[in-house]
Amino acid sequence: MNMTEQQVTTAVQAAAQVQEHVTEELPNFITILEHFFPKSHFVRFLFSWENVLFSFLILGFIAIRSISAARKKEFLPKGLQNRWELVFEGLAEFVTGILGPRGMEHVPFLGTMFLYILLQNWLGLIPLMKSPTSAWSTTIAFALITTIYVQWVGIKEHGFVNYAKHLAGNPVGILGLALFPLMLVINLSIEFFAVPLSLSLRLFANVSSEDKLLYKFAELNAMYYWLPFLFQLFANVLVILFSFIQAFVFLLLSTVYISLIMPHEHDEDHVAAPEQSSSPVHSPPT
Amino acid sequence: MEYFQENIHLGEVLVQLIAFLIVFAVLKKFAWKPLLAIIRSRRERFESEWGGIEKTKQEVAALQKDYQAHLQKIEEEARAKMQEAIQEGRRLAREIQEKARLESQTSFEKAKAAIELEVQKARLTLRQEIADLSIRVAEKILAEKMDGSQQEKKALEILGELEKKL
Repeated sequence: MNMTEQQVTTAVQAAAQVQEHVTEELPNFITILEHFFPKSHFVRFLFSWENVLFSFLILGFIAIRSISAARKKEFLPKGLQNRWELVFEGLAEFVTGILGPRGMEHVPFLGTMFLYILLQNWLGLIPLMKSPTSAWSTTIAFALITTIYVQWVGIKEHGFVNYAKHLAGNPVGILGLALFPLMLVINLSIEFFAVPLSLSLRLFANVSSEDKLLYKFAELNAMYYWLPFLFQLFANVLVILFSFIQAFVFLLLSTVYISLIMPHEHDEDHVAAPEQSSSPVHSPPT
Repeated sequence: MEYFQENIHLGEVLVQLIAFLIVFAVLKKFAWKPLLAIIRSRRERFESEWGGIEKTKQEVAALQKDYQAHLQKIEEEARAKMQEAIQEGRRLAREIQEKARLESQTSFEKAKAAIELEVQKARLTLRQEIADLSIRVAEKILAEKMDGSQQEKKALEILGELEKKL
C-alpha cells in the first residue's frame, strides 16, 4: 500500500515536472493537438516523438531543396541553385580554410551537420513549431555522430595501430609504458565522453534557454500589452543570432576536432596522401 | 541521474542518429558532390577563359604597338621625303638662277662683241671715206691749181660740203 502510494506520488511529481517542462516553451502544433485530444493514441504518439518529427521536417526540407537545386546543373545558376551553391561554397571555403585542401572530403559531413542544426535552431522561431535541438536527446545524437566521424577519420588517416598508439599517448620508453593505461583512460574519456558531452550539452542548453527566453517574453507580452512587444522583437533578434552562433560553434568545433586528428603537415611528407584526386574547389593561385 | 533519465530518450537518440546518417549519405551523393563539382568546373572554365582573354589582350596590345611603330615609320618617311623635295626644289632654284646668270653673262658678252665689231666696221668705213674724201679733195685742189683765189674758194666749198656730209 505504502509502496503504491509512493509510486503514485513520484508519478504525480514526474507528471508535474513534465507539465512544468512543457509550459516552459511556446506551444507548437503537437502540444496544441495534445491539449485538445489528450486521449487519442495517434496524438500521444506524435507528442512522444515531437522532436524527431520536427527534425524530420527539417531533414526533408534540406534534402528536397538541396537535391532539386543540385539537379539543375546550369552553368549560370539562378534562384534555388544559386542560393544553395552560395551556401555550399561558403561552407566549403570555411572548412578548407581550417583543414587545408584535403578537408574537402569532410565538407559534406560538416556542411550537412551545420545546415541541419542551424535550421533546427531557427525552427523554434516559427509559430507552432519547435526547435528539436532544445531536447538533449537530439543534440546527443549529433554529438555522438560527430565523435564517431572524427574517430573514424583518425583510424582512416593513421591506420588502426597508429590510432591506438595515439590513444595510448604514443608510449616511449619505460615511463611511457608505465603511464600508458592512464593515458588510455584519459584519452578515451576525453574523446568518447567529454567531447560529445560538451558538444551536446552546449547546444542543448543554449537552444532550450533561447526557447525559454522566447516563452518568457511572450508571457510578459500577454501580461502587459504593447510595451514588452519591443522586448520580444529584441529577443527574436537575439535568438536568430545565437542560433546561428551555436550552429557555427558546433561546426567550428567539429572541424577543429577533425583537424586535430588529421595527420599534420610534416607527417604528410612521408605518408603519401591517398586522395590527391579530390582537389579542392579552391585551387591555389597559379 | 533523474535529470539524465528525464532528458535523454534512447529511442529518440537512435532514431535521430539513423535519420541523420541516411540523409547525410543521400545528400553527399545527390547534393554535395554535384553542386561542388559544378562549382569546380565553373571555376576551371572561368580560369581558362580568363587566361584566353588575357592572352588576346596581350596580342591586341602587341598589335597596337606594331601599328604605332608602323605609323611612326610612315610619318618619318613622309617627313624625310618632304625634306628631300624641299632640298631638291632649292637645288633646282639655285641651278636655274645660276643658269640664268650664265646666260645673261654670255648674251652680254656677245652683245659687247657685236658692238665692238660694229664699231670696228664703222671705223673702217670711216677711214675709207676719209681716204676717199682726202683723195677727192686732193684731186679738186690739183684740178683748180691755176687760180689761187679760186683755189681758196674751192677748198672752202669742199670743206663746207664735207661738213655737211659729216
